[in-house]
Amino acid sequence: MSSPPLFILLCSGEHEKIQMAAMTASVAAVSDRAVEVFVSMNALAVFRKDVEGQRYSGGEFSKVMQQRNVPDAIELFGQGKMLGEMKVYACSMAMDVAGIEIEDLVEDLVDDAGGLTKFLADAESGQLIVF
Amino acid sequence: MELIATLKLIELGDEIDVLSSDKGSAMDIPAWVEKVKHEMVGIDQEGDFWHIVVKKMK
Repeated sequence: MSSPPLFILLCSGEHEKIQMAAMTASVAAVSDRAVEVFVSMNALAVFRKDVEGQRYSGGEFSKVMQQRNVPDAIELFGQGKMLGEMKVYACSMAMDVAGIEIEDLVEDLVDDAGGLTKFLADAESGQLIVF
Repeated sequence: MELIATLKLIELGDEIDVLSSDKGSAMDIPAWVEKVKHEMVGIDQEGDFWHIVVKKMK
């Protein structure tokens, strides 16, 4: 029996939430669970190819993670994709509003631009977690 | 993640001995192995380290 797919709606730009989303997505993907990630709002800028200054900002735990060199969230998403079944979609509405093109986002990680309606419809077949 | 990547590269029936200083790995690896249907060969604590031996089954 295969597990129902996992759908992750990632909106927060906060390092802690993005890290948790990356860990959840990658662990699920390598545990034989299909994962779809929908990136929108403040999270979208974190997926830019070229980030000026620090990619991640957050609270106390973010500082500790950066000092302790925990695995990078973008790399964790990438590993999940490489070793499991994972799709990452960038919210087309947020891209429009922020003036971000698909080419501006981390290569080989973001599969395509996508709409919320389609994502929500797909998510009916599985479990949805929001970060 | 290194364990999972390495499992992809080795032959069926081969074993990997993971050396970890992280107590979480000692709990998470057996849970993962059971979920994805590989096999736990053994798990031993040696000082501050754990040896977690996994056999590739698929």
